[in-house]
Amino acid sequence: MSSRRSRQSSSSGSSRISDDQIIELISKLRQFLPEIRDNRRSNKVSASKVLQETCSYIRNLHREVDDLSERLSQLLSTIDADSPEAAIIRSLIQQ
Amino acid sequence: MTASRREIITSSSSPPLRTRFALRFLKNLMKIKKSTPLGHSSSLPSSSSLEIRRRTQLIKLAAYSSMARAVGSRRVWSRALILKLSAGKRIGHRSSISLSARSSLRCLGMKRKRSKTVTKRFAAKKRQLEGPCPGVVELQRLVPGGESMDLCGLLEETAHFVQCLETQVRVMRSIADQLP
Repeated sequence: MSSRRSRQSSSSGSSRISDDQIIELISKLRQFLPEIRDNRRSNKVSASKVLQETCSYIRNLHREVDDLSERLSQLLSTIDADSPEAAIIRSLIQQ
Repeated sequence: MTASRREIITSSSSPPLRTRFALRFLKNLMKIKKSTPLGHSSSLPSSSSLEIRRRTQLIKLAAYSSMARAVGSRRVWSRALILKLSAGKRIGHRSSISLSARSSLRCLGMKRKRSKTVTKRFAAKKRQLEGPCPGVVELQRLVPGGESMDLCGLLEETAHFVQCLETQVRVMRSIADQLP
């Protein structure tokens, strides 16, 4: 950890030593992003674009979690706690 | 023989992440279901919508904490998230669960809708001051524990974090589809 140069020490652009590391990590990150994955050719996407897309993707995922939580909350209010399905789920959990 | 047996033992004692997460999350869901009693039929519909909203917050917290615990302390972001969520829980008791929930969720970088323009302006200003990669600040805010990481570590953590978030969404969606 101490061998890695911190961001503050290299004020002009990315640090020279870990440039390849950063490129490799960013390309690894790019594979998770659904938009970039299929469309672009691998060399043409800039690092800042990848970071932006990552941020917006994370925010989208948070929003999906919100929606799903709300949906689950609605569903929880309708299911019966003593139904056979609940018993099945409970037995699966206790395993 | 011993090597294969060891393999079998380790593979059976550490199920995949989505299974660990799903089990924890379902346990928490059942707990939430039991502890938040439904309103009686005579109660007003507005109170039940408040109940639903409160339960939504609880479910959301349960989802993130289940995921963080399923990952364990192997990752910086999961450790940071566990700490922040448990600190939030300590602040609020049952009566003020919404306050503690909001403070816990704020640490995930989630902003309310009305402050979107304010955060955009602030982010733009920060972008002018920020050196190497302006998006890094934003990413640091979104990934728990990101402020203390350098760029390389942050990118690694982000990749794992995104993977886990996707798993979380997938499991939640399949649970929501399966429930009658």
